[in-house]
Amino acid sequence: MNKLGAVIGFTYRNKTKTKSFRWTTLVLLMLLVVGLNIPYFIQLFSGQSDKDLVRIGIASGSYQQIAEQIKEAADKTAATKPAAANNTGNAGAAEVNALRGTGVTRIEWEAEPTDAAKLRQQIEAGKLDGYLQLQKPAAGETFPSITYVSEKNNAGVQAMLQAAAQTAKVRSVTSGQLTEAQLNEIGTPVSLTRVALDDMKGTDSKSGALTMENYILVYLLLILFFISLTMTGNMIASEITAEKSSRVMEILITSVSPLTQMFGKIIGIFLVGLTQMGLYAIVFIVHLMLPYYQQVLAQFDIHISNLSWEVAVLGLVYYVLGYFLYSTLYAAVGSIVSRTEDLGQAVSLLTVLTLAAFYIGIFSMTNPDSMLMKISSYIPFFSPTTAIVRIGLGNMPWWELTISLIILVIAIFIFGWLSAKIYRTGVLMYGKRPSWKEIRKAMKAYKI
Amino acid sequence: MNPLMLDQIVKQYAGHTAVDHLSLQVEEGEIYGLLGANGAGKTTTMRMVLGLIHPDEGSIRYHGQPYRTELQAMMGYLPEERGLYPKVKISDQMLYLAQLRGMKATDARQSLDYWLQRFDAMEYREKRIEELSKGNQQKMGFVAAVIHRPKILILDEAFSGLDPVNVEMLKQVVLELRKEGTAILFSTHRMEHVEELCRHITVLRRSKPVLQGDLNEIKNSYPREKVVLRTASEIQGLDTIEGVTEVVRQDNGRYMIRIEQEQAAQQILQLAMSQGAVDQFEVKEPTLNEIFIKVVGSSHE
Repeated sequence: MNKLGAVIGFTYRNKTKTKSFRWTTLVLLMLLVVGLNIPYFIQLFSGQSDKDLVRIGIASGSYQQIAEQIKEAADKTAATKPAAANNTGNAGAAEVNALRGTGVTRIEWEAEPTDAAKLRQQIEAGKLDGYLQLQKPAAGETFPSITYVSEKNNAGVQAMLQAAAQTAKVRSVTSGQLTEAQLNEIGTPVSLTRVALDDMKGTDSKSGALTMENYILVYLLLILFFISLTMTGNMIASEITAEKSSRVMEILITSVSPLTQMFGKIIGIFLVGLTQMGLYAIVFIVHLMLPYYQQVLAQFDIHISNLSWEVAVLGLVYYVLGYFLYSTLYAAVGSIVSRTEDLGQAVSLLTVLTLAAFYIGIFSMTNPDSMLMKISSYIPFFSPTTAIVRIGLGNMPWWELTISLIILVIAIFIFGWLSAKIYRTGVLMYGKRPSWKEIRKAMKAYKI
Repeated sequence: MNPLMLDQIVKQYAGHTAVDHLSLQVEEGEIYGLLGANGAGKTTTMRMVLGLIHPDEGSIRYHGQPYRTELQAMMGYLPEERGLYPKVKISDQMLYLAQLRGMKATDARQSLDYWLQRFDAMEYREKRIEELSKGNQQKMGFVAAVIHRPKILILDEAFSGLDPVNVEMLKQVVLELRKEGTAILFSTHRMEHVEELCRHITVLRRSKPVLQGDLNEIKNSYPREKVVLRTASEIQGLDTIEGVTEVVRQDNGRYMIRIEQEQAAQQILQLAMSQGAVDQFEVKEPTLNEIFIKVVGSSHE
């Protein structure tokens, strides 16, 4: 046990001390920070912050009443969206007829002038962003046709104006025949959400499982699995090959049992990977906590509180188990190869296996309950990705989950045992990469 | 009980026998020489002693007991192909290796300092292996093998690739360890080192032990066949003496005479004295090198 700790500590310290490791981590961290801030920068450079206040006039003509109704409707929408309303910093400017729509844009209505020609002059002078022009309705209709005149093409503003106009239209056409409550109900959009059949039958604990947040979470878990596995797997294999080619292995195997050595290495590198991922996670979470980021998320209607803990926890369980399954094999491959140059070719089979697991998971995210997925979630090499897709986005009854996990754990023991055997044999074999037959022969000869 | 006892061990690899019925014993405070040409089975024997591979037949006993993992703390190994982590600081990897051998960190640090001082290599403590010269790398490999004060030490080609000064330094350390009671199994191609250090030897030839026992007895069992003679003037009629097979006069005036029977030596001396003053006369005992070549054959490099 003491020796295992020594191997883990040594592996961890040496790996994290290398320049290459520090630089890759730093560069990836910087890329992550830049990537996470791209939305903010886009906002900054497109002058969005300046645009959160849009001044709009109305050339109402003879439709004074409808113009008032549009303004009023726009105000009401603002009131029904309180979550989005408290984001912009300068709430003091929200006095006269101010409206916050999507949380980024605010509309300020200008009462004067009401003449189209004067409004146009104001736009040219830069005092106004645009104006609505109410004109004679089309044949057979009573509601005036509305034009939005502006230099800028701002879809957000147009959508808000359209919604307000729509409300005004309903009011105008029904002209007092409906109660306020009825009008409100017409105003709210129909909500349509999909609920999986299983969730209807079962308890309500999983009802939040099909959210956008979980989709993103599953996606992130798959990417995490793939990237960290290829990275750490290759680290393990190359570390072992390096020990072999530098011949320090001869001393090591006479000091520690190969099993201790192999698992010490695997756990050590696992912690290295965890450190790296932890750093990324911290940067990620800090960003999510930042106020402006909350705003961006809110824009897409994403709320962290909607994340399913079940998916997150099971995802991590599968990730750790999957890691140990693959890493023992990477260790075995590393032990067979004597020179670092031959390593790439030797691990290619494992890379293909990882890729397959990743792609089956990614491409089945829209169709998580297919037969392929059901079968794959029992195959140890694929279950870390496919099971998590099924848990997060489809249904996976608890008994299937249990069986899948048990198979995975058994596979870890079988392949761990096999890898340890190969490792013991491999570290003593030098020269060209041995074939399976040669390894089997050597195993017999060494009585392993 | 001897620290190390090999009893009739046999090891076979895919059809050919790597070690064939080898028995030997290493006493406490003894350096045992294991000799043989390349591929004779020395490394395989050492690997079996280290517990890396198991013999097919026979047994290896350590203080009378079979192999167990606790022995790892008691054994030290200097492999023929030595190597350490090229990019890791020497203090770091030495302490790590000592810890793997079951040493406490504080003891390991003390021991490391002692050995570095002993080898006059204190300034390399915080350096990386790749920054060191080849000879110094070898010394570090030796430190790694002895840092935990093993009871059984296995040295495969301990002195190869070292300059005479360093060979002498290492030899002194090996002798010091022997004095402390370490049982040392020692392999080398340099026969003069064996003659200097070992009491018992085994010579392996094609996996089989062909010559085994006390070094002096082995030497005495081989006839003395060489006479060195130096005289002021040339001696006539040396090759007419019965039993003389070859007479070579070297440039420095020395005769190297090969004889079949030891009695011929006395006749040579008498003949020489009758013709002038004798500066030097010696009946040489065979060197281990000559014995080795005789036993193993010309395949020895």
